[in-house]
Amino acid sequence: MIGTLSRSTPVIVQGITGRMGRTHAALMRAYGTNIVGGTSTRTEATEAAGVPVFATCRDAVLATGAVASVAMAPPLETLVAVEEALAAGIRLIVTVAEGVPLHDAVKIGRAVRRAGATWIGASSPGLAIPGELKLGFLPDVCLRPGPLAIMSKSGTLSYEVGYRLAHEGLGQSIWVGVGGDSVKGLRFADLLPVFLADDRTHGIVLVGEVGGSEEEECADALVRLGVCKPLYALIAGREAKEGVSMGHAGALVFGEAGSFASKTRRLKAAGARVFSSIEALVQACVQDFAALRS
Amino acid sequence: MLLIEADGKALLAEHGVAVPEGVLVTDTQVELPGIGPWMVKAQVPVGGRGKLGGVVRCSSPADVAAAVGRLLGARLKGHQVEACLIEQVITGEERYLAIMVDAASYGLRVIYSRQGGVDIEQSGAAHGRLCAAHPGAAKEALAELTANEPDAWRGPIAAVGRKLANMLIERELALAEINPLFVSASGCVAGDAKLVVDLGAVERQPRIAAMIAARPAIYADANRKLLEGFDYVDLDPAGEIGLVTTGAGLSMMLIDELTARGSKPLNFCDIRTSQMRGSPARLMRVLEWITARPSLRAVLVNIFAGITDLAEFAGLLAAAMEQTPGLRVPVVARLVGRGAADALRILAERQPGMMVTEDLDEALGRIDAIVSSSSWPGLARPSTPSRGADGRDEVGT
Repeated sequence: MIGTLSRSTPVIVQGITGRMGRTHAALMRAYGTNIVGGTSTRTEATEAAGVPVFATCRDAVLATGAVASVAMAPPLETLVAVEEALAAGIRLIVTVAEGVPLHDAVKIGRAVRRAGATWIGASSPGLAIPGELKLGFLPDVCLRPGPLAIMSKSGTLSYEVGYRLAHEGLGQSIWVGVGGDSVKGLRFADLLPVFLADDRTHGIVLVGEVGGSEEEECADALVRLGVCKPLYALIAGREAKEGVSMGHAGALVFGEAGSFASKTRRLKAAGARVFSSIEALVQACVQDFAALRS
Repeated sequence: MLLIEADGKALLAEHGVAVPEGVLVTDTQVELPGIGPWMVKAQVPVGGRGKLGGVVRCSSPADVAAAVGRLLGARLKGHQVEACLIEQVITGEERYLAIMVDAASYGLRVIYSRQGGVDIEQSGAAHGRLCAAHPGAAKEALAELTANEPDAWRGPIAAVGRKLANMLIERELALAEINPLFVSASGCVAGDAKLVVDLGAVERQPRIAAMIAARPAIYADANRKLLEGFDYVDLDPAGEIGLVTTGAGLSMMLIDELTARGSKPLNFCDIRTSQMRGSPARLMRVLEWITARPSLRAVLVNIFAGITDLAEFAGLLAAAMEQTPGLRVPVVARLVGRGAADALRILAERQPGMMVTEDLDEALGRIDAIVSSSSWPGLARPSTPSRGADGRDEVGT
């Protein structure tokens, strides 16, 4: 579903009358996303950010034909929002709340899998196909069409990397923020085949961090699928104390599991290049993709 | 977040799992449980405490007092020991039992091993089964894993497993691990407890909320997050660089890069500029915590503003600095994104002399210069690591 998103994909915003919903619906529309409507459980408003507001997802989907949703719901209400979207037939749902309870995320994951839909989150900063659409928060200053696919756990670190690359003339083909949660929707390894199959993508930038096993799974997938596009990885949290999570619930190291050393070793063994600073990664991409800079 | 063992065991006991008789002490005035021998265990949220000397077997009250005296205030893997748990020594065969949320399968993973004790994770002896996220499924998974145990043991172990699964689901834990689980003719006793709670669920888990609130020193980071609504973590007790930063991943990366350059960051911070809503209060809180640390030598502000208006942020930062009299070290600000030009102008007016730049490497270079400056007598400084001629810094190459 992600590879085929375009400016014509009809999208709704759940929670569109809230402060965040209103702001980001307007920003997404301004970027070119085909926001066709929104939902609100709290107000009687019939319009927000220039699009119609519906009481339920079902009404919104029936009236607009939306296939994708950005759920701007608080963390404890994200499960209900996703269940409602799935019941209405939404095929791609992006959730953005930080701090969705772990056991809610498990329930969301099961429901999405049962429905055969795609979930990005729990705390996704968003995804974008620059020049086509963006779903979520990804700042416009970082977005630029180009040859690199970005996948990232962190929002801000990927903004920094994407911004500097774009500044060097290297934009993005697809950008997906998978979120810093331990239980989530799409994982790095799920995105790898999407990026490998995408003709616009010439290189892959993985912005990971300590904790969990996604980077290791991605290394395994890289070996399984064959390295036909170069992968550049940045892993944050080398200095993280064991047993202390810094901001992201998923960034928790115990012993060897989820450590910087484990991720670096596995990715390198799979043929990826791993960098210890943002600038080093940017310079390597600039050198390798000199011909594709624009 | 990992609960200390004493709290983990309290929760286990509330859910019907037997734990050793024990007392938690924060000074050397010790009232011993039972007649000994005893185990003295440092209460820090890391694994492998035994190998680090954080778990001591003592046969006399004098040994206990000595062990407690030695451990309190010591640091294990970067964590200061604020309390010790003293327990009666338990005997029995050691087993390993854990139930955790499995991220990839959206279910639970039940792990059991006939070899308990340290090194279980590395030994390869632990076997796991995935199952759905409900106690009945966990019970079936455990029954398969314990098929080779003596008949008389399988029932008691299954009972512990059922209680563990119930607790994990009711209390919304990420992990519930007992290692070792002591098994004998008289039943099962949890020798240790490693329980990881979900801070995202604390709002609807009053028992967990109370446990965290009851220990402001041990769970300092979690208490701060729950009270203030953003993340701030104390790092190096001798740290020199205070961070006022936004974004968890970017802040972690800055800590890594500063450390690699020879600086010592004193904190992690994800201040969430979008939640400030026109008030400098949050910035003042962070500056207050940072400036309270005597080893502070510089403050690095790094804000990547995708949505936030940097002109507004600059005004708040200037106001917060003006209202923090304890701020006596250089502040270096790197501001990039929406409204950066206005922000630079505002700070140049209100905080003349403060370095403000859009370039992160320039800001880091200034921090390097402050840290390595000779104006700080008596401290040897590591020189900035040299970089490859092409500017690359690839790991392991």
